[in-house]
Amino acid sequence: MSEDGYVNYFEILALDESAKPGDVRKNYKKMMKDLIMEIARVEITGERRDRFLLEMAKLNAAFYVLRDNEVRETYWRQRAEVIQLESQWREAAQNGDAATDALRRSFDSKLRHFLSRYVEEAMLEAGRDKEAVEASNWDAAHERHASRILRHYRHNLYQQILDRLPYWEITTPRIDWVEREKAVAAMLAGER
Amino acid sequence: MARNREEIKPPVDYATVAGALAKSVYEGDIVNFRLLFAPFSPARQLSTELFDMPKYQYLLPDDGVVSEPRYREALDKVNQPEMRAFIQGELEANRPPQLPADLLLMLADNAVRMGKYTSAAQAYESLRIRSRMQQMFLDHANSALDRGDVPAGVRGYIISNGLAYDYAAFPEPLPAIPDFQTRALLLHADYPETPEACIAMADTGPLVQAALEYLLSPDVAGALSERPESLRLEFLAELVRQQDPHWTSFLGRYEEASTLADQFGTRLRATAGSMSLADEIQRELGEDPGRIPATLLGHTIEGGEWWQYLKELAYEHPAAALFVARQAVGDLEIIVPRHRPGSPIARALGIGAGAGVAEAG
Repeated sequence: MSEDGYVNYFEILALDESAKPGDVRKNYKKMMKDLIMEIARVEITGERRDRFLLEMAKLNAAFYVLRDNEVRETYWRQRAEVIQLESQWREAAQNGDAATDALRRSFDSKLRHFLSRYVEEAMLEAGRDKEAVEASNWDAAHERHASRILRHYRHNLYQQILDRLPYWEITTPRIDWVEREKAVAAMLAGER
Repeated sequence: MARNREEIKPPVDYATVAGALAKSVYEGDIVNFRLLFAPFSPARQLSTELFDMPKYQYLLPDDGVVSEPRYREALDKVNQPEMRAFIQGELEANRPPQLPADLLLMLADNAVRMGKYTSAAQAYESLRIRSRMQQMFLDHANSALDRGDVPAGVRGYIISNGLAYDYAAFPEPLPAIPDFQTRALLLHADYPETPEACIAMADTGPLVQAALEYLLSPDVAGALSERPESLRLEFLAELVRQQDPHWTSFLGRYEEASTLADQFGTRLRATAGSMSLADEIQRELGEDPGRIPATLLGHTIEGGEWWQYLKELAYEHPAAALFVARQAVGDLEIIVPRHRPGSPIARALGIGAGAGVAEAG
């Protein structure tokens, strides 16, 4: 099963799950330095600014979550739980199990919580952390711009996960793409 | 309780349900479509709500709607035996309903036709085809521009851009520019220290670019940047007219406001921004320099600041924000009509076609 969409902070810092806090700090500082040097090297456009802010927020959050054993364990446990729920729901949906809807609801609620906590909140909290601020120069202006970007990022991750799950809100669509092309052409031609 | 309610409530007539569903599909209204399947829907036998209640009359088709071919098409679909059985099953089931994808697709297309892009975006999103549909509209729009069909190209860009909206579905068409309240103000964020320092006085190339970014989005403007300037100009003129069917009525008010502004035009060019100018303007206009923005807008905003006039003007006529400038008048700041003399953009849009007033520079 794909784990795409369930943000993996170990991957972001190029570490494995057994990494020690020292490794977390070392990789974070190196990667943040590289990122800052890249930012200084290129001309900043709107699109690049958004991308760099997101990259910076991800590194900060990865450091913030993984450097503390307790926070790291909670994060990793909650991530595993939500991934397992996805798997259980898929299986129940496939078998037409009566518990399908309850599992779907439980999964949706846990997924929303996981993404809010570890994508949006953790990234913003990390931006106020003393060590992260020192390494990344993150300030109030960064936070102001990043709020929108992080909200979109969270929304995209949520959508990315939902897109691969069984249809539950609507019946499975049968899309005829040849018909779609014709419909679009007719609409552009001004058909009412 | 459920049993009692069932006994009291007369059986729900499927013809009524079908009519209401077909109406929501015909109108591209995802809010009403969802409501009809909701637990409290009057379409459900177990709900206490009734279609006869005055508050639900808006859900039912009137004579004007029932004669529409797209309504008939939706009604035929809703009445197909398989679809009917499915809908009835969902309305009877005691669980969150599954919406029929075929009807949702019809609804999304109708929403696009009516300019209800948030509704269309949400319906396409549920079908998981939103980004592909967006791209398809964009591809068809580019093909239309390649063969010189600018109106179709503009329509495609407007739709593709509209489907990008992440706002909650709203049953009515949104303003042409959904976040006009910030985007129009950003065009006038800095006070122009000279008459030339405003967006309206920019050269043709930069003004077309800024206009496309403002009226559509920076991404869309970027996608058009490789096109010849003449095509971009034609595109912009068509875009303004498609986004604002009442543009011509605005032009009349623009001319009128320009005539007012022209009364002190010479002094405005010579001494823009100075206190003496403010005094002179006030002398010219009596005690009410607010007549200029009120004429532009078509009505007065009580105690209205320049930005309030600008916001409302941008709501009514999005492109109008490109042909005005901020002007200090004593303690007051107003917006005045302004455009570049001989500007191909102004010409293409009929700006200044009358007396040629309010031209600065």
